[in-house]
Amino acid sequence: MNGRPVIEVRDLRVHYEGLTLFGGLSFQIRKGEKVAVAGESGSGKSTLIHTLLGFVPSFEGQVRIWDMPLDALHIDRIRKLTTWTPQDLGFTVFPSVRELFFTPFRFKANRKLMPSPQQIREIFDLFELPPDILDRPVKEISGGQKQRLVLAISVLLQKPLMFLDEPTSALNTEIKQKITDFLLKSPEVTLLAATHDEYFLSRVSKVIRLANLSDYA
Amino acid sequence: MHKGAIDIPWLYLVSGYLLMIIPLAIFRAYKTGLEKSTLWALARMTVQLLLVGLYLEYIFKWDNKWINLLWVAVMTVVASYTVIKRTGLRLKLFFFPVFTATVLSIVLIDYYFLGIVIGLKNIFTARYFIPITGMLLGNSLKNVIIALDAYYTRLDEEETSYRWQLANGATRSEARLPFIRYALQRAFNPLIATTAIMGLISLPGMMTGQILGGSDPMVAVKYQIMILVVIFASTSLNVWLTLQFSNRIAFDAFGNLRKEIFARPPGRKLKRGPKGRPR
Repeated sequence: MNGRPVIEVRDLRVHYEGLTLFGGLSFQIRKGEKVAVAGESGSGKSTLIHTLLGFVPSFEGQVRIWDMPLDALHIDRIRKLTTWTPQDLGFTVFPSVRELFFTPFRFKANRKLMPSPQQIREIFDLFELPPDILDRPVKEISGGQKQRLVLAISVLLQKPLMFLDEPTSALNTEIKQKITDFLLKSPEVTLLAATHDEYFLSRVSKVIRLANLSDYA
Repeated sequence: MHKGAIDIPWLYLVSGYLLMIIPLAIFRAYKTGLEKSTLWALARMTVQLLLVGLYLEYIFKWDNKWINLLWVAVMTVVASYTVIKRTGLRLKLFFFPVFTATVLSIVLIDYYFLGIVIGLKNIFTARYFIPITGMLLGNSLKNVIIALDAYYTRLDEEETSYRWQLANGATRSEARLPFIRYALQRAFNPLIATTAIMGLISLPGMMTGQILGGSDPMVAVKYQIMILVVIFASTSLNVWLTLQFSNRIAFDAFGNLRKEIFARPPGRKLKRGPKGRPR
């Protein structure tokens, strides 16, 4: 398993809302690599991540994650090894920030990962989240706070494969650099992030550039 | 034993309808445009109830187990159809889960209530089986509609939250849990509220009927209490089973919500149609 890439994509095409994306994209990501997906908006950055997580089942080509084919049989095992911070954050189905924050740690697969109060304090401090944020309703916190909170959850879950979608889009410049450096620090974690942030792009080991939609025509 | 209520002669029944002049006059004075729909509703109500009276008369006369069961089966089919039609979900996909959940919850609760609590030797006796089952069906209908609608509309609107949980290690049922919780809250808050004020501001229909029919008020109250408990139990069972059974058809092999479960674009259902008119 060690020598094999964590993500192996060959000749990927995705049919999505009447369009065909990626026009035969191939790439490999090895363990511990930090990779960014770049491209104009509408080029399918988010769709690529969604596809790798099994949310777009109608794709063509070969996708293997940890040597498991991306299919209905393996998807549950793959998702136990991943964490994902989505771009579009609603989360209003959770009544409070506390409920949102602790929900992933109550999943059977993550129960051993429940963070201690000390760990929570440290990560909130690093991500500049006020300690009383847990007691607020989800609707009342800002987009930036929500993004940092969900990123903090992704970090605390300590999964070997991290997918991030525009992780720093709602952050201001100073905190953006600090959080980017922190996210890219761990040598064990394999990371794939959709981003167009210059600083983030300058710090990753590889950039996958998606072609514009018009280029496929 | 039963004195029974005084029958209302047909001519007097007609005179009773004169009371409807009051709402009609008010609607007309304010140009509400409600007169036509009021008259239509009144006519439908009258015809439907007279038909019910007619066939209940025969069902009670025959009192045959198989005819009673057939009647309940027909009612359940109609109820399931009504539930799905009001949610904006696809009838073809949801009929089986809704129908099965309704049959199961009614069979179980009828058996327990009529067979054990009331102690009937034959639970299919028309006088008990038909009205109790009708009451259970009619009352769970509204809650099943609210729950199904809340569950799938919310799953669609908050698909990212659902997927976020899956992508962070949730099993499918773990990821659905906040949505089931939301649907249960939406469906049961009104029922809890009406149960809590029962008897304070109105006399429940069944109890009123029994008292008019000559029952001792305390007997009527006992039946009313039991009926509320039975409605609560069968409704919750029905709602829960419906959500569980429908989960089996509403998601694809990857655990994604299937968009084809919606008969019309979700989330737009009760909002404005063209020209700002509600659908």
